[in-house]
Amino acid sequence: MHNLSMALKNLKNNFSFYALYLLSVSFVITIFFAFTSFSMNAVMLEKISNDGRVETMCNTISVFLMAFVVFYMSYSNRFFLRRRTKELGIYVLLGYRKSTILSLLITENLLICSGAFMAGILLGGFFHKGIVFGITKLLDLAVNHSEIPFFNPNAVMKTACFISAVVIVLALSNGRFLFRTSLMDLVRYEKSAEKRMKFHAVPSVIGFLAVISGYCLALDILRGAESLWLTIGFYPVGMLTSALILSGTVLFIASFLPFAVQAGKKNKRKFYTETKIITAPGFIYRIHSNSRTLIMLTLLSAATLTVSSVMALSLYYPIAAVSRMAPSEIECRIENESEITAFKQIINEYSPGDDVTFLQTDIYKVTSTAGQLPVEYSIGTSKRDSDNEKILRDAGFECIPFSNYTALLEAQGRTKALEQLATLNNNECILIKYQPDSDNDETGNVYPLLIGNHEIPVTVTAVTLDNPISFANSVGTLIVSDDLYHMITEQAVPAAKVLSINGKSIEDNEALFQALSEYLSGSPYLQGNSHRVHEIFSLSSSTFLLIGFLVVLFFIATGSILYFNNVSAITDSKSDYDILWKMGYTDRKIKKIIQKQTAAFFIIPFLFGLADCIFATLVYKSALMQNILKNSLVLYTPTMAAIMLTFIIYLAYYCMTVHTCCKAVLTK
Amino acid sequence: MSALLEAKEVTKIYARAQHPSLNKVSFSVAKSEFIAIMGASGSGKTTLLNVLSTIDTPTSGSITIDGVNIKNLSDSGAADFRRDKLGFIFQEYLLLDSLTIFENIAVPLTLQKLPPKKIENMVRSLAEAFGIDPQLNKYPNELSGGQRQRASALRAIVKRPSILFADEPTGALDSSSATDLLNTLKESNESLNTTILMVTHDAYAASFADRILIFKDGCIIRELFRQNDDRRTFYESIAREVAKLDTER
Repeated sequence: MHNLSMALKNLKNNFSFYALYLLSVSFVITIFFAFTSFSMNAVMLEKISNDGRVETMCNTISVFLMAFVVFYMSYSNRFFLRRRTKELGIYVLLGYRKSTILSLLITENLLICSGAFMAGILLGGFFHKGIVFGITKLLDLAVNHSEIPFFNPNAVMKTACFISAVVIVLALSNGRFLFRTSLMDLVRYEKSAEKRMKFHAVPSVIGFLAVISGYCLALDILRGAESLWLTIGFYPVGMLTSALILSGTVLFIASFLPFAVQAGKKNKRKFYTETKIITAPGFIYRIHSNSRTLIMLTLLSAATLTVSSVMALSLYYPIAAVSRMAPSEIECRIENESEITAFKQIINEYSPGDDVTFLQTDIYKVTSTAGQLPVEYSIGTSKRDSDNEKILRDAGFECIPFSNYTALLEAQGRTKALEQLATLNNNECILIKYQPDSDNDETGNVYPLLIGNHEIPVTVTAVTLDNPISFANSVGTLIVSDDLYHMITEQAVPAAKVLSINGKSIEDNEALFQALSEYLSGSPYLQGNSHRVHEIFSLSSSTFLLIGFLVVLFFIATGSILYFNNVSAITDSKSDYDILWKMGYTDRKIKKIIQKQTAAFFIIPFLFGLADCIFATLVYKSALMQNILKNSLVLYTPTMAAIMLTFIIYLAYYCMTVHTCCKAVLTK
Repeated sequence: MSALLEAKEVTKIYARAQHPSLNKVSFSVAKSEFIAIMGASGSGKTTLLNVLSTIDTPTSGSITIDGVNIKNLSDSGAADFRRDKLGFIFQEYLLLDSLTIFENIAVPLTLQKLPPKKIENMVRSLAEAFGIDPQLNKYPNELSGGQRQRASALRAIVKRPSILFADEPTGALDSSSATDLLNTLKESNESLNTTILMVTHDAYAASFADRILIFKDGCIIRELFRQNDDRRTFYESIAREVAKLDTER
């Protein structure tokens, strides 16, 4: 029979078997083509990348993506080859030459990859269009969609060349396998029994301790200034933690888990049950041959979860922090009263609503002679701690009156902060903190304020993170009573006059902000809440999108490998389930055994990934992110969402795997 | 002796088959009896074993084992029945590779939810009685074919089944291992009163039984009884019968 017709017949007769391969390869090509199309989309890149950052990221991610496609397709190919070794052995037995069988395999692979290529290009085209549509909507970009082709010829060419190269690599790999495996091994490949597992206590204990030490070291970052991360250094401790967790994970999976399950068998009461007596030894038996795959999946899962969690946190945190960075919808400094009239005119022009409030706050700088002053007092006074080196501030408290504070909070809609406020006496004040600082609570501290020639001591009755004015316009803000403020105004001139503009009708109005910015000649003191959110989205979206590609790919790779691995192991043991059935195990009990056996292999990478993700996120959040928000569980919402999403994806893959396994095993 | 198994007019016709695999087969098996079923390939031996052991269902006829009409059993009822009443030995041993020999033999007892201590005692005493206790902590792939098949036999008899079905149990064994296994079965039959129904094409293996049912084209065509003959004499009469059968083909 001709190779092509034989391959076609094979594919037709075993469609359900090959459908999975076709589907998974199509999926990978879809992602690859969508990504390639995006990285070659000149129209979009021009809109979202001014400095070539996105292009550089595209190139970097492209390398990862290619490596993944090669790895994933090799794995899938190997899986299907393994399932067919007996069949190939029979061909050899019948007198087929190995070269003929190899060309049959190549023909089949070519047919499947061609089908997957066409499906991938079509779906990838839609996916790419969807991404473009999403970004333009999200960033409110003016893009002529007709200029973006559905099939970018260069992207099609690149994808075709790459997939062809992969097919050649697979052909070489299949050839190597085929020519190096003897006829006997081909026929008996599926039946090759595992060697007896040896249990070693030392590597098991080392693995367990290494993982625990790694996590403890990660937790140490919560000790703040005393933590090893700060006393020894972030880089060496980070490297040590990673090395401990990495080596610990390897030993934990390869030695500790089988050791612990073997030890668990001594608990006779638990072990001698109808499912445990099958699942516990089965787990040890499987982990012996699959520990490398499981370790790889665990690390892949940890990387996926950590990247998605950190990515979600990196986007969410700056947006959550906008309420502190720019508490008013629009805020700027004014030099004279005429500017207010000009602002009103511009606002009226761009947003003629009647709910807009204008609040002017005159900020007075007051120095203090106290020995110990809060960090905010002198923040931004030297080049070292200033974000913008061109603007340095003089040390001092920036005083605003209590009445103004409450009016600003009300205009900004922060009713919760208002409810917690108590009126101030003349010798009392509220300190606005820049960062939450659990080590130094200034409440109760007395600061003598130098007003004219007098020293007036004020006691901090409360510290708060509810700053009414952005940090661009005021740092070290001190809320004082109206009377004390009046006294200060008589002795000094304001350090700055800040105008806060609020109102529903001016929210999300980028055009208005640009007009004001133009009027103020790009003043760094102009701040806008909605503008800041918009800016974060514009700056981060391309990065997140590109990393998103990788995360999706990681998910597909992890889920599919788990699927293939489990289906392969369970179907290879079909005769074992047949024995159990004949012994009197019901279908329900066998299903339960399959569920448990499969669950173990899903749970290990997920739980390890989860633990690694939680600790890595903790370190990232504590050490690498500027903390200006109150520590609250709400901040971890995106991390929890990322974990939840991962859990759902794992669950879906798990259910699919169990379904396929049960279908293969329980069909009589 | 009272009948433990009663098969009446059992017929099995597979879809698209021209002839029935079992054609109105009727026979009974008494408690503690050791029966061998012989016949050429395709004569219906294995089909009969599958139908009797609830693995397959007959097209018509009735089968009663230990007072239970197995035709009326539901899927889970059949599973419970296999768990409580039946034991199996297969030609390919079919031990679970991931379990030690001890664990393999213990599986049917855990399925019966026996207490751990009792399971351990039962497995150990049986293994000791049949001489495989040194292999209890080994895995199947560490044993010879004969040792595996003996372990498989112990797994079948450990739960004291009402009836033990053996499908060509010596088919993959060398003569010495086959003799060991057959002695094990005989010993189990005599000392534990295990009722055995063994399918075999080997006259030597059949000579360990008390009675032989010879099959041809889905029917029992002859029945041989050991009566008071010793095993050797019985073997010779079986061999003669088989030879006669071969010339009649």
